[in-house]
Amino acid sequence: MAGEKQYLQLYEEHRSLLEQHSCAPMNRHRAAAAGWLREKGLPTQRNEQYKYTDADAAFAPDYGLNLRRVLPEKSPYEAFRCHVPNLSTLVFYMVNDVVCAPLPTQRMPGGVRVLSLCDMAKKKPAFIDEYLHRLAAKADDGVTVLNTLLAQDGWVIHITKGVHLETPIQIVSIQEGHTDLMSNRRVLVVAEEGSDATVLFCHHTAGACRYLSTEVMEAYVHPQARLRLYGVEETGAGSHHFCQTYAEVMQGGRLETGNIHLHGELVRHTSHIRLAEPGAEAEMLAAVVAGDGEHVDHNVLVEHAAEQCTSDMLHKYVLTGKSISAFAGKVLVCPGAQHTLSQQTNANLCASSEARAYSQPMLEIYADDVKCNHGSTTGKLDESALFYMRQRGIAEAEARLLLQHAFVNDVLQRIELAPLRERLAHLVELRFRGELGKCRGCTLCR
Amino acid sequence: MLEIRNLHASVEGKEILRGVNLSIGDGEVHVLMGPNGSGKSTLSHVLVGNPKYTVTEGTVQFNGKDLLALSPEDRSHEGIFMSFQAPVEIPGVSMTNFMRAAVNAKRKYFQQEPVGASDFLKLLREKRQLVGLDAHFMSRGVNEGFSGGERKRNEIFQMAVLEPCFSILDETDSGLDVDALRIVAEGFNKLRTERTSAMVITHYQRMLDYLKPDFVHVLVNGRIVKSGDASLGYAIEERGFDWIKEEIKD
Ligand SMILES: Nc1ncnc2c1ncn2[C@@H]1O[C@H](COP(=O)(O)OP(=O)(O)OP(=O)(O)O)[C@@H](O)[C@H]1O
Ligand SMILES: [Mg+2]
Repeated sequence: MAGEKQYLQLYEEHRSLLEQHSCAPMNRHRAAAAGWLREKGLPTQRNEQYKYTDADAAFAPDYGLNLRRVLPEKSPYEAFRCHVPNLSTLVFYMVNDVVCAPLPTQRMPGGVRVLSLCDMAKKKPAFIDEYLHRLAAKADDGVTVLNTLLAQDGWVIHITKGVHLETPIQIVSIQEGHTDLMSNRRVLVVAEEGSDATVLFCHHTAGACRYLSTEVMEAYVHPQARLRLYGVEETGAGSHHFCQTYAEVMQGGRLETGNIHLHGELVRHTSHIRLAEPGAEAEMLAAVVAGDGEHVDHNVLVEHAAEQCTSDMLHKYVLTGKSISAFAGKVLVCPGAQHTLSQQTNANLCASSEARAYSQPMLEIYADDVKCNHGSTTGKLDESALFYMRQRGIAEAEARLLLQHAFVNDVLQRIELAPLRERLAHLVELRFRGELGKCRGCTLCR
Repeated sequence: MLEIRNLHASVEGKEILRGVNLSIGDGEVHVLMGPNGSGKSTLSHVLVGNPKYTVTEGTVQFNGKDLLALSPEDRSHEGIFMSFQAPVEIPGVSMTNFMRAAVNAKRKYFQQEPVGASDFLKLLREKRQLVGLDAHFMSRGVNEGFSGGERKRNEIFQMAVLEPCFSILDETDSGLDVDALRIVAEGFNKLRTERTSAMVITHYQRMLDYLKPDFVHVLVNGRIVKSGDASLGYAIEERGFDWIKEEIKD
């Protein structure tokens, strides 16, 4: 198939409008992206990286692109008002691929910037030139390239040197429209030396249309900085979401990522985390609750490019109904990356007989003094535990729920920030009880 | 309390219980003994409704109700409790959450409001003290990393919280050290009333000493072949099961 054709055509026809609404640092890479796509195309399942997800089929429908940068009539800050108990965040909204101006009351702590990419390109062009597309350019991935071709805007999150941000930044993305729609977003996160910050990305959809969204995030963790990036997926039926993450962690820096999947028809995460200098650390968590008809795929590459780096991956998936999960995790230990410490765990709980879990943990080691562990398990609910609970009077459905919740809960327990941890654990519980999706806004409000 | 008539049951197509008859009155403690593999645990599991076991014949009346028609949950709510011979681990489900779910499920069955937070904590504390279970166990996963003896103590703790009218203790004494056994048995005795009954499975005399059962039954090959008072238990401790097997042959 040649699903890329329609996007290339779209690009050629609307190139000037697209560029007009975007900014020079983004426009600069479009022509090369078009060339790449023309030559290699969008990934199909013959592509090793995409063998568990039919990206081709996901991109095949004719989606509209929000070329005119139309914003919804009602401000999302009102329509999706957040009353966050026990969790105050610095909240920002994006509707489709359009950044919404923050509330005038939003006070940013010193040394922290959250801006649209296009605004930042005007204010600090040198900054954008330094970081934008540096990591993504190396990716040999059709979805990332498509994003480069079509994305018009996105976010810059910049934590300057030594700044410790106590309050998490929350970026709420809402897909909304009257027709089937595609959005492409770009995100740039830079945590300068010795800084410390948490960013929470919440993905939602509203309405009954079909949506396709791609997101390319580049994250730079400078020496001794600590950056936590969490994503909560709560998109609806008809939503296809591709998240591409490229991160670089420098000397003594630490990156923690966490994906919490609550709902979403098709979600694919591609991550490449490069531990570039000695002492860099990465922790990658995923807690997935895949419901009937959902498909969740994580493809993670951790590259130990320097010595004495640590990586720890814990992905736990609960599959209910007719759902599919895929985990392909690769730890690559480059030559000279001595004293590498790496742990990779994927555990799947198939709570229904129709669920399918694919798991492919991989190790590729080119250094001799390393400690690398990996493991993968896939199992069903423990019948004897279930019966034990029923003997104590706990109804079977409730017992199943407790077991499933417990299964992913140890991933959530790794989240250090207590209010966020509790909030996310509560969300997961609501998800299991089928109580999500009652309000169109961000669930962190409830 | 409990009336078992001609109970036959099988597991994985194999018949294990082959016509059990047993009647347990209010306030009585019955001890069930028998060689390994004779079907004692099977009988216990059948009474609490474990779906792995299939009842092929017979009836069980529990306080006038048809026990075999009830779900495991409802049997629990109606007051049947089993202390498992091998309690399972439930990693990630804390003891506190587990007990709250159990207590509230029962309250819901009797159309009562969920238990209040402070009442619940008070209840847990009181019952923990009864069996000497340290507070830190409450925040751990159910039986997660508990030693054999701690698991058994935890079973009796749960029994104390749920206050059943009929308890099945399947070898709760094995795995307990001498002091723990005394504490658990004394705890059990404190929970006894004229309206609570128990079926206690044991291989050891020490349990007979503590519980002073009203009856002792011997299960061989899926049938109760001999019944008597506590002295029968002591005779088995002294002489084993062979003489009983010989008796049935005659
Ligand atoms: N799930 C099962 N699958 C197959 N056989 C089983 C199963 N459960 C029990 N059995 C068999 O049923 C028979 C009775 O077992 P049961 O556990 O009831 O014995 P018991 O009297 O409790 O023995 P013990 O004193 O050793 O605890 C044994 O032969 C056992 O192997
Ligand atoms: Mg047994």
